[in-house]
Amino acid sequence: MSEYLSVLIFAVTGAAIVLFTFFISKLIRPHNPYPEKGVTYECAEDAIGDSWIRFNPRFYIFALIFVIFDVEVIFLFPWAVAFGELGLFALVEMVIFILILFFGLFYAWKKGVLKWV
Amino acid sequence: MEFQLPEINLQLMAPEIFLFLWALAVMAFDVTTKRKSSSTAGNLALVGLAVTGVIMVFTDQGRGFGNMFFNDSMAVFFKVIFLAAAFMAIGSSFGLTHTRILNHRGEYFGLILLSTVGMMFLASSSELISLYIGLELTTIPLFVLAAFFKDDRKSVEAGIKYLVVGAFSSALLLYGLSFIYGLTGTTDIAQIRSILAHSAVAGFNPAYQESTPIMVMAVLAILGGIGFKLALPPFHQWVPDVYEGAPTPITAFLSVGSKAAGLVAFAKIMIMGLYDLYDPSKAPNDWGILVGVMAAAAMIVGNVLAIRQTNIKRMLAYSSIAHAGYVMVGMLALNSLGLASVGYYMFAYLFTNMGAFAIVALIEDRTGSCEIASYAGLSKTSPFLAISMTIFLLSLTGIPPLAGFFGKFYVFAAAIKMAETGSGLTWIYWLVGVGLVTSVFALYYYANVMRTMYFVETDSPLKVTMSPMAVAVIVIGVVGVVVFGLNPQPIVQFASDMPAALGALLP
Repeated sequence: MSEYLSVLIFAVTGAAIVLFTFFISKLIRPHNPYPEKGVTYECAEDAIGDSWIRFNPRFYIFALIFVIFDVEVIFLFPWAVAFGELGLFALVEMVIFILILFFGLFYAWKKGVLKWV
Repeated sequence: MEFQLPEINLQLMAPEIFLFLWALAVMAFDVTTKRKSSSTAGNLALVGLAVTGVIMVFTDQGRGFGNMFFNDSMAVFFKVIFLAAAFMAIGSSFGLTHTRILNHRGEYFGLILLSTVGMMFLASSSELISLYIGLELTTIPLFVLAAFFKDDRKSVEAGIKYLVVGAFSSALLLYGLSFIYGLTGTTDIAQIRSILAHSAVAGFNPAYQESTPIMVMAVLAILGGIGFKLALPPFHQWVPDVYEGAPTPITAFLSVGSKAAGLVAFAKIMIMGLYDLYDPSKAPNDWGILVGVMAAAAMIVGNVLAIRQTNIKRMLAYSSIAHAGYVMVGMLALNSLGLASVGYYMFAYLFTNMGAFAIVALIEDRTGSCEIASYAGLSKTSPFLAISMTIFLLSLTGIPPLAGFFGKFYVFAAAIKMAETGSGLTWIYWLVGVGLVTSVFALYYYANVMRTMYFVETDSPLKVTMSPMAVAVIVIGVVGVVVFGLNPQPIVQFASDMPAALGALLP
């Protein structure tokens, strides 16, 4: 049970530190609200309109395609670190992995999702 | 740091690798060609499944990948079921290719194949992480397939519901598995079992006097996760809506393939891994009685609620909940007959349910209606469909000499044999009793469809033109139900190798 006790202490301490800092900052910060402070801040521009509008789904598809490369890089780093010990086998494995990912890109390309109409 | 590569045995995985590449090829084919012939992608998928079956014949049984992959007779048996279910689902999808999935045929068939690959990996895994990945590869394509009719509100609703429920149940299952890993320090299922049986680990007393709260939580979370996949009450509410909204061939694939995959996961985790917690003489520690209650609830809820349904897909959805209950009765009988009866039951259910859904799909495709009332007069306009449907419904009810009867017979026989062995097992008799009584309810709602087809007069009977592929699927179903009903021995023989595959640990 003692292993789990340390997990519990860790969780409680973590939560306590967050609450504590909020509490401290509330004690020492100046309190001076005025309307400009409540305005939505977006890259120093005045926000135009409502953010609850329909977005073009292409944004999401582009984000999804980005994930292909994201995943690839995440797996390439540990692979590159251990490559010296793994040898040729790992190279073949990684080539297969990248080919499968490239199939995804090829598929998306052929489906025409990379065209911004 | 010395790194030892596990022994790789790619030959063991040949069917899965082939089917995976074939699924990609089907999708690539569809995006590169100019869609000249509308059924090519589907035909390609069927060829891929057939070739995978042939490759499986030539694949050795054995272990590979450092015991993470395990091609044993249980894996082979269930892989046959998965491949056949995918084959029949794709076969009954051909009616859709001309109309509703016109621009997405490659994805449709490719995703069915990918889901099948996931089921096959699941059946072969002997380790928690590969098992979980197999389960995810099974369900994620099914989320998309359930929502495949993008402009149909019900289909989209089905997809979203299935996604939310599936994500929740996966999280629950993974949470439970993480507890098991925390308690035993391994993800290898056979090792988990031997650690639980032979040594005192944190959180578990090997004398089975009591399980600690962590172990109880682990078992509850795993049962919840798998309960969602198998649609055992109280985790069954998603089933009718998803089954009704999803494209009918996908509903069929969900009800057979996905259910069989859930059963495999249950057998692997609960029976291979946590067998020693199923100790009948010490009821408080016993997950068996918990599963028994869920099975009884499934039989009662499924059969009672099916009575009032007017939509045939909803009726078959509730009936599939009931059948999950029946098959869990066999799963609880941990003797040599138990797993064999589960295997036979799923085999019979495969032909029966895929056939019945093929007819529903054909009629829905031609008329747009899934209401039972619209089946009136079917016996006059297309006697072939009416007779086939009657055979499937009788098999679902469990009328001899059809395959469904022997499925129920073996399941209940195995359970009674189990009940005779232990003193704390009288509740299994009650479970069998519930099964027998609720089977009578089942006769009522199945017979109602037959009555509508044969005896209800109507001015506008259905006119159904058949497609060759749909007829082929229905004929496969009828032949399977009748032949394996009249002669169940080969399948029982085939299925009875499975307990040995679980490590010969059963009494």
